[in-house]
Amino acid sequence: MEKDLETILDDCIDELRKGGSVESILAKYPEYKSELKPLLELVQAMEQLPKPEPSADAVSAALVGIGEEIALLHPVEFPGLKKKRRSIFGKLFQQPRLAWTLSAALALVLMFVGISTVSANSVPGDILYPLKLVTEKVSFLLAFSSERKAELRLTFSEQRTKEIRQVLQQSDKLDERLLNAMLKEAQSALEETPNDTSAIFLAKLNAVNTYQKDVLESFRPRVDSANEKIVNRAIRVCDMRGRWIRGMMRGNWDETPERRSPAPHQEGRRSERRGWGPGCDWMR
Amino acid sequence: MRLYMREKVLELAEEELQAVLEQARRLEPKAIAKLSEYCYPKVFRYIFYHVNNPADVEDLTGEVCLRMVQSIQQQKGSFKGWIYRVASNVVTDFYRRSAVRQVVDPAADSVEDIVDDTDETGHLLNQAQLKEGLSHLTDEQREVIILKFIEGYETEEIAHMLEKSNEAVRALQFRAITTLKKILQTEK
Repeated sequence: MEKDLETILDDCIDELRKGGSVESILAKYPEYKSELKPLLELVQAMEQLPKPEPSADAVSAALVGIGEEIALLHPVEFPGLKKKRRSIFGKLFQQPRLAWTLSAALALVLMFVGISTVSANSVPGDILYPLKLVTEKVSFLLAFSSERKAELRLTFSEQRTKEIRQVLQQSDKLDERLLNAMLKEAQSALEETPNDTSAIFLAKLNAVNTYQKDVLESFRPRVDSANEKIVNRAIRVCDMRGRWIRGMMRGNWDETPERRSPAPHQEGRRSERRGWGPGCDWMR
Repeated sequence: MRLYMREKVLELAEEELQAVLEQARRLEPKAIAKLSEYCYPKVFRYIFYHVNNPADVEDLTGEVCLRMVQSIQQQKGSFKGWIYRVASNVVTDFYRRSAVRQVVDPAADSVEDIVDDTDETGHLLNQAQLKEGLSHLTDEQREVIILKFIEGYETEEIAHMLEKSNEAVRALQFRAITTLKKILQTEK
C-alpha cells in the first residue's frame, strides 16, 4: 500500500533523529523531494534549537511551595488541643472579628508548627530540608542572649552530624557540604560562647565535640581515599577544639603563652586567634 | 537558604516513573520531590512556548507542580498526558485571568533572559521565531509540535498522551510544519 505524505514525513523525521542527513533521506523519496526538503530543514532547525531550562532558583521556589503543600496534606494532630480550644477560647470565638483574627493566628501557628515538625527529620535532597534550615534560621534570629545563640549553634551542628550519618547510611556517600556545615556551626557555637559561660554548657560543648569526633572516626573506613583526607582533617579540628574546651573547663584557657589573651589591637574572632577558625581553613 | 539540587535534569525510565508515581499517590514526600524534579523542566519547556514573560513561565510551572501534588491521588491513565493537560489548563486559566491574549513579540521581555538567541550559534531558527510561529497554529497543532520537537517524544507517545490515533497526530504534525514553514518564510 502506498504511503501518504503525512506518514512519509513522519518516517523521514524518525530517520533524521537516527542521524540520517536530509539529502540521504530525500534520495529515498525522489518524487516528494521538493515538498519534503523545506519541511525537513525546518524540522532539523527545531531539533537543533537549545532547550529552554529553568533556573535553579525557580525550581527551589517551586519545591518550597510543594513542601508547604505536603505539610498541609499531612496535618499534624495535637492530642488534647481540640478540647482545650473549646474550653478556653469558646467565649472569645463568639465575637466574629476577634474569632477571625484568632483563627488566622492559630492557623498560622499550626501551619508553622506542622511544617517544622514534618521537616525535622529531613536530610539534604528531601523536599522539606530547606524548610528545616529556614526554621533553624528563624529560631536563631529569635534568640537574644549569646549563650542561647551558642546553644542553638551547637544544636544545629549536632543536627548536621546526624544528617551526615543518615546520608552516609542511605547513599554510602560523604556529603562534604554537610561536614563543612557541621564544623562551621560548632565553630560558631564556640565563638558565641561568652567568657563567663556555665560549666554545664562547656560540658555539653565537649560532649558534642567528642560525639562528632567519634562519628567521624566511625565512618572513616567507609569513605574513599580523597574523602579520607577530609575526614582526617576534620578529626584534627575536633582534637584541637577538644583541647581548647577542656582548657576552658579548667579555667586556664588564656594562661598558656600560645593561648594568651590578645592585645586590644589583635581583638578578633576567638577561633581565628586559636588557629582552628576561618584563619585556619580546615579544608586546606 | 540552600537547596540541594541535582545538577542534571532528572530522567526516569517508565518502570521507575510508575514506582515513583505509586509512592507519590501515597503522598510520600521523597517521591513527590522526585516527581516534581522530573516534571518541572518538562512543564517549563512546554509553558515556555505558550507564554511570553519568563517570570510568568516560572510562576505557571510552579502552579502546575502544585496542582500535580494536590491531585496526584486521583490521577489515572497516562501520567505524561495528564501533566501536560494540567499545564494546558493552567495556561488557559492564565490567559483567561489576564483577559487579553498577549501577542507574542520576539523582542518583548527578553526570551533571551533564559537562553541566548541562537542566531549567534549559526542556527537557522531561534526560540523567539519559533515562539512567534507557534502562536499562529491551532492549539492541537502547537501541542504536537512542542511535544515532538521541544520535548522530544515519538509520534506513538504523543498519540497516547493526547488520546488520538497515530494517523491523527501525523496529520496534525504535517499541517503544523507546513504552516510554520510558510509563516517563517513570510517573516524572512
